[in-house]
Amino acid sequence: MSERAALSRATESGAFSLVARHGLRALVAAALLGLAVYPLVSDNLYYQNMIILSLLFAIMGSGWNIISGFGGYVSLGQSVFLGIGAYTTALFSLRVFEGASPFWFPPVSAVVAGIFAAVVGSILMRTRGHSFVILTIAFLFVMQLVTLNWSQLTNGNHGLTLPLPRWDRDYQYWPFYYFLFGLMLMSVALSYWIRRTKFGMGLIAIREDENKAASVGVNTPIYKVLGFVASAVFIGAAGGVYAYYLTFIDPRGMFDIVISVQVVLAVLIGGRGTIWGPILGAFILEPLNEITNNEFGGGSERLIFFGALLALVVLVLPRGVIPSVAEIFTRRREKRRAALVGARIERKPLRIEAREERAELRPATGPLLEVRDVEKRFGGVRAVDGVSLAVEEGTITALIGPNGSGKTTLFNLMDGTMSLDRGQVWLEGRRIDRLPPWRRAHLGMGRTFQITRLFRQMTVLENVVAPLGSFTWRQLGADAVSGPEAERAQELLDFVGMGRFAAQRAAALSFGQQKLVELAQVLMLDPKLIMLDEPAGGINPTLIEHMADMIRELNRRRTTFLIVEHNMPLVLGLCDPVLVLARGKCICEGTPEHVQADPAVLDAYLGEDFVVEQRTGVEA
Amino acid sequence: MTQLMQAIVLGLLIGGVYALLASGLTLIFGVMDVINVAQGALIILSAFITWTLWRELGLDPLLGVLVTTPAMFVIGYGLYKATVQWISGRPASMSVLLTFALALVIEGVMGIVWSTTYHAATPSYVNQSFRGAGLYFPKAQVFGCAIAIGVLTCLYVFLRATWLGRAIRAVSENVTSARLVGVNARNVAALTFAIGVATTGAGGSITAVLYPFLPGSHYQWISRLLGIIVLGGMGSLPGAVIGALLLGVAETMTVTYISPRWATMVPYAVIMVVLLARPQGIGGAKLREDVVV
Repeated sequence: MSERAALSRATESGAFSLVARHGLRALVAAALLGLAVYPLVSDNLYYQNMIILSLLFAIMGSGWNIISGFGGYVSLGQSVFLGIGAYTTALFSLRVFEGASPFWFPPVSAVVAGIFAAVVGSILMRTRGHSFVILTIAFLFVMQLVTLNWSQLTNGNHGLTLPLPRWDRDYQYWPFYYFLFGLMLMSVALSYWIRRTKFGMGLIAIREDENKAASVGVNTPIYKVLGFVASAVFIGAAGGVYAYYLTFIDPRGMFDIVISVQVVLAVLIGGRGTIWGPILGAFILEPLNEITNNEFGGGSERLIFFGALLALVVLVLPRGVIPSVAEIFTRRREKRRAALVGARIERKPLRIEAREERAELRPATGPLLEVRDVEKRFGGVRAVDGVSLAVEEGTITALIGPNGSGKTTLFNLMDGTMSLDRGQVWLEGRRIDRLPPWRRAHLGMGRTFQITRLFRQMTVLENVVAPLGSFTWRQLGADAVSGPEAERAQELLDFVGMGRFAAQRAAALSFGQQKLVELAQVLMLDPKLIMLDEPAGGINPTLIEHMADMIRELNRRRTTFLIVEHNMPLVLGLCDPVLVLARGKCICEGTPEHVQADPAVLDAYLGEDFVVEQRTGVEA
Repeated sequence: MTQLMQAIVLGLLIGGVYALLASGLTLIFGVMDVINVAQGALIILSAFITWTLWRELGLDPLLGVLVTTPAMFVIGYGLYKATVQWISGRPASMSVLLTFALALVIEGVMGIVWSTTYHAATPSYVNQSFRGAGLYFPKAQVFGCAIAIGVLTCLYVFLRATWLGRAIRAVSENVTSARLVGVNARNVAALTFAIGVATTGAGGSITAVLYPFLPGSHYQWISRLLGIIVLGGMGSLPGAVIGALLLGVAETMTVTYISPRWATMVPYAVIMVVLLARPQGIGGAKLREDVVV
């Protein structure tokens, strides 16, 4: 397979073969055309109503999918934006501009929903997992209660009645229909745009592993909050249209958790994290809604039906229709490439320019990285207890110490994954211990993890392109994988010997291969300092040698290394100086020979009753 | 002053019942990392069973505990085996969705069997009170709180003094290690879920006397319980007891001094403030930080 083919396949990032893709495009176009002309050719109001509600679910699902499908932050309170949108439009048309058509105000609803999402998102998104899910539910109920109790404004329990539509009855529900149809197209366009920009790639990185995303330079709070805003605006606008369509709104109907859950259900059925999945799901779910309403008269039977359906989807088809079908195509396509998994790791020389030019810009004052009296406690345990150390520019510095001596914790404090309790961290004469992880990455600090942490659902190439060397607002809209970026990523992959794996999914790689890709990923940031957490841990001897060669080569190009490692032959052959950490303190520093001879080090590793004659044992 | 004391007394009495109701939720979360959103619906289910026994057979609602507890144990075991066990190891949001789905089904079933109107079990003592120190102690609340304390004590002794109890605590500390030392984590999870649901038996019977209820009431209950376990530190049983007492008092204070309309807001306010300001709650100390989430 040629490099070019690997590249184009990697950038494709979807799962369909070209043929299937064209067929599906035709299908989607036909379906959209059908939707566009339906009201013109049929005057069946029952079906018009059903499509209008499907469009509403599609817009909501599409929005939910941005934050929960791409971003991985599952919100069960997404219908809060429907309520906010509905009440905004209702209040504007009843109280602010009395007598104006409600159709003027969905844009206002969108803005209000967006502002709400920005404010609430910046607070709620400080939590994750269970906490975030619970908070979104709580927020929905809080808004319902506020709307219920603030009756001067909202008329509380009694709800608000909007003016009836004034157009000729010959036009049926057309205005609602086409308004929502347009909103749905815009939602899909937004999702599509997000999916192919840095913005979407950042969201997916956050979904896959948020701390890792931050450590490779993704400004996670901004990405998350913007994702939340993007997921809210069209729901807000749709809420405005929906309010006018119903002509009556009340708090319980608008801030309804069951609607939220139905939206989630629709997206799960269609396919989470895909562009068309939410739309497909909505057009499956809403007709079911109508059928159950007609068959059982709504109420309790409907709850049982949807509850059972939701349980079934979660248990049996959690990935949804579109991804499951896509999987079949991918499998068929990848059959031919199965041999690649066992392919040899072949390295190619690096063509990237050395660091020298940049190094001259910096006056040589002080060490590149300095840690001063840093402390971190977990409950009563002082994992890091007043460590001070310095990493000189241009060195390959080792950080060794017995298990549990605080090495990885120290790494986490230096790159900002954890916050420190006391002390300072300086990079190039600049204090960084209060900066978030992505800022430290932007300033030239890169790290790998002891247990590799790639973005598992991304391809290898996407993984290498994902790091961001800076944050700008324009960046959000840039192509997810631009041509030059793909080229450079390919070059880095070639350098670490993983060039032929560019199109593979990261999750499919072996542990050793993942270590190599993680190194390439960090190199993408072009860091001044690379911190490697056990680069030789759990990989075979040939690969260890290969790793050492690469580190030396990069170091010749003036990249500084700080390495945590237990493999003593590697450390002693590669690194100088060596720092020794024990019981949360730095106990020794010096050349490999010096450290080997230091009784304090022997004591820390082997205990007090260690006999000197056994020293060769340490080296082996 | 009397008004304040009265509010505190009522808050503590109802807090005792809340503690029992929250214990199952926190126990299940601690052991299997699943937030059982259906816990509220199961409480209402137990309340309906209690109501029927009282109405049809004349069984005192508070004695109904003896029937509902084993009944809910069996239901819990069945739910675990049929559904919950299949999602172990999947993301948090999936377990919330699944148990939410169970809650919807249970709500629907209750709506069909008992209709969607308000019910209440009203034995003779429901409107009577003990009096002392110038304060009222409503009999139903006193009895309910006493039963709750009794059941909670049994639960505590069980967790401390039996082999299964130790196994449950071991799994909640560290599943992998518990497996290594020979605990059958799957069985423990099933029994924990069943025991956690069994607590809704007693809880539901008491609830049937204290509050009118309908199938849709479960939302109110689950939010209250979530508020409690979030406040107490998720997974901590003593934390849940403290959280329950605090929430009980906070609610009665809100009713007394602000307005009953805003009392329903208290659990949500608690959830928001605690999760944002001190996510580990009152009980939980941060012993180690997992960078890998």
